[in-house]
Amino acid sequence: MRNRTVPQPSMSFEYIMWMFTRISGLALLFLGAVSLVIALAMGARQLLDMPTLARWTFFPNPNHVVNSKIPDVTQGWANAYWQIMQIVIAFFGISHGFNGLRVIIEDYIGNTIWQPMLRGLLFLVWLFFLIMAVFVILAS
Amino acid sequence: MEVKVKILRFNPEADKRPHYQTFCVDAEPTDRVLDLLEKIKGYQDGSLAFRRSCAHGICGSDAMRINGMNRLACKTLVKDLGRGTIVVEPLLGLPLIKDLIVDMDPFFEHYESVMPYLVNDEPPPLKERLQSPEERARFDDTTKCILCAACTTACPSFWSNGRYVGPAAIVNAHRFIFDSRDRAAAERLRILSNQFGVYRCHTIFNCTLACPREIQITKAIGEVKKAIATGSLE
Ligand code: SF4
Ligand code: FES
Repeated sequence: MRNRTVPQPSMSFEYIMWMFTRISGLALLFLGAVSLVIALAMGARQLLDMPTLARWTFFPNPNHVVNSKIPDVTQGWANAYWQIMQIVIAFFGISHGFNGLRVIIEDYIGNTIWQPMLRGLLFLVWLFFLIMAVFVILAS
Repeated sequence: MEVKVKILRFNPEADKRPHYQTFCVDAEPTDRVLDLLEKIKGYQDGSLAFRRSCAHGICGSDAMRINGMNRLACKTLVKDLGRGTIVVEPLLGLPLIKDLIVDMDPFFEHYESVMPYLVNDEPPPLKERLQSPEERARFDDTTKCILCAACTTACPSFWSNGRYVGPAAIVNAHRFIFDSRDRAAAERLRILSNQFGVYRCHTIFNCTLACPREIQITKAIGEVKKAIATGSLE
């Protein structure tokens, strides 16, 4: 059989977001695993209880571990690396969720003016959440 | 034996909204639901409206909801429907015209939008455009579609947003996208990657369950998504 290929259709927004849903979902699991493994390597088994460790896994913020048995969180638990991790996790998590809401809007709202309006509103709320998240992470 | 057939009736000239009417029909277990409808129309109520043509499952005219599932009335036997009342309703998601007849125009507009015909501007060879049996087999499943609309009108994505092209249109695009003689795959993939194309499919599988031709519709939609992502028509 002859190999048949087509030039890839120029990337449509739908296609990009469809890919993004899959990639961000996997990325969240991967980043969570990284936080978990590093926390365990830093002695989380002795220093943290289970809920605290779970919270750290998906949101590695020093505020989450400050009341644990860690003697000094500035030693490894609070630094720029974890801030970047948090921002990346927050970006993927928030965008993944808001993209889901966008899909629901497009599924249920057809031809009306409501669709662009709600999509615009959703975009603004998404932006607000992102900015707030970055602000909270950098300020804490 | 006697069966009760409960039909959702609607006469646009007299009724504000559809209502049920129950008929008692003398039937054999091997009768088809279409036979029951014919008996009702012929002997009890000539005003009952429904579409049919071939009566042999190939023209695709008589898709309707039978006991809540989209099926062809001419392929559904009474004995396969259990003992209770048989409920017959028009397809969902398309405008109701009368009784069991819905307006198929939106369905066919979506069908036409994916260019469901062979496109090849290369000069034809002396005899014919050759295709190997393997190349033909690649899209065999989707050639079986009879455009009955059972799949599209079983799809929750289509119910909630009628601009979605729907499974039937994608099945018929698939039939040409993977045809080695066709040259318009890229154009069809472009059409199907827009906001109301394949990404409105959330793999609910209602279409696959509904199809009277047993086409693996959700699989075909997945293959189109893959072709968009990779550009490969293998
Ligand atoms: S794919 Fe199956 S259910 Fe859909 S229109 Fe074709 S024959 Fe009917
Ligand atoms: S009447 Fe032709 S498919 Fe049923």
